[in-house]
Amino acid sequence: MNQGYRWPLVGLHWLTLLLIVAAYVIGSLLEDMTLSPLKLKFYAWHKWVGMAVLFLLPLRLLLRLRDRIDHAAGLLPWEARASAAVHGALYLLLLAVPLLGWLQSSAAGFPVVWFGVLPLPDMVGKDKALAEVFKELHEGAVNLLVTLVALHAAAALYHQHVRHDGVLARMVPWLRSRP
Amino acid sequence: MKVLLVLLMALAVPAWAQDWKLDAGKSQVRFVIRQMNVPTEGGFRRFIARASFDPARPEAGHFRVDVDTASIDTGSAEGDDEVKRPAWFDTKNHPWATFVATSVRREADGRYIAFGELGIKGRNRALAAPFTLIRQDGGWLAQGRFLLKRGAYGIGGGDWAEVVADDLEVRFNLVLLP
Repeated sequence: MNQGYRWPLVGLHWLTLLLIVAAYVIGSLLEDMTLSPLKLKFYAWHKWVGMAVLFLLPLRLLLRLRDRIDHAAGLLPWEARASAAVHGALYLLLLAVPLLGWLQSSAAGFPVVWFGVLPLPDMVGKDKALAEVFKELHEGAVNLLVTLVALHAAAALYHQHVRHDGVLARMVPWLRSRP
Repeated sequence: MKVLLVLLMALAVPAWAQDWKLDAGKSQVRFVIRQMNVPTEGGFRRFIARASFDPARPEAGHFRVDVDTASIDTGSAEGDDEVKRPAWFDTKNHPWATFVATSVRREADGRYIAFGELGIKGRNRALAAPFTLIRQDGGWLAQGRFLLKRGAYGIGGGDWAEVVADDLEVRFNLVLLP
């Protein structure tokens, strides 16, 4: 019986969490900083981390298609629908948030050079008004992502501590029962 | 009297040289810096160019460009505020950056190098600026680019050196009308 996802997917799941927490913390600090060498570093790091989330996503989706689990098992029909919707939205936001950040960066006239080495193409030409629009959309998408991540985590804890159904163990190998 | 006349003739701009007026709206003085290895474009909104030359012999001409340092556009408002400070351009004490060509060498048809001094922040450094001269709408387009080192002019020191590269490129497009 397949108790959970295999380690590459598990690793990517937790790595993505680490990356989005890092990007969120750096991004929030940037908001209140005045221009300084450190701020320019933060801008760069924020973008590097965000692009890492974006470029890891296709790999995650491929691995996810390989590791098939019956997600509706043990769930009421509405629960299965809600679970699928939240997971779908999370994937969509993992795509949308970095893409909107990339668009904002291009429109602001500050290209992204991944890890200071790989210059990424500009998605749009320099346009300050457009950059503001992408900034708002990026922030809105971030807030939605944070909300859904919290919901996702709360649901996982509910399964683990209230339902005791092993759902959390799919993503946490050391919680799985030994055969 | 005769000596004076000869002297005056030698000093005077040759009769065939012509003054060309800058079309500021169509001209640009821009630069590309690298911060965290990210090429970032900026420019200056106000500058004056004086050019006096005979189209048949531009190498005998006079060229001078004055740039209003406070008119800098770094691509962001916070960047504009920062680089006006004493550590960078110190625009209050040094409102102008000036290039004066002392000689011009013809490299090929329409291609020249202007040799002269670039003065920024009270420091004068020798500069060779290659440029092309193209006939355009009854006037001329002088176009070129050259590399500068921030450090040579004391622009932006301290912790900034860690994130902003010393080398930067200046690009200019000057439209000169009769």
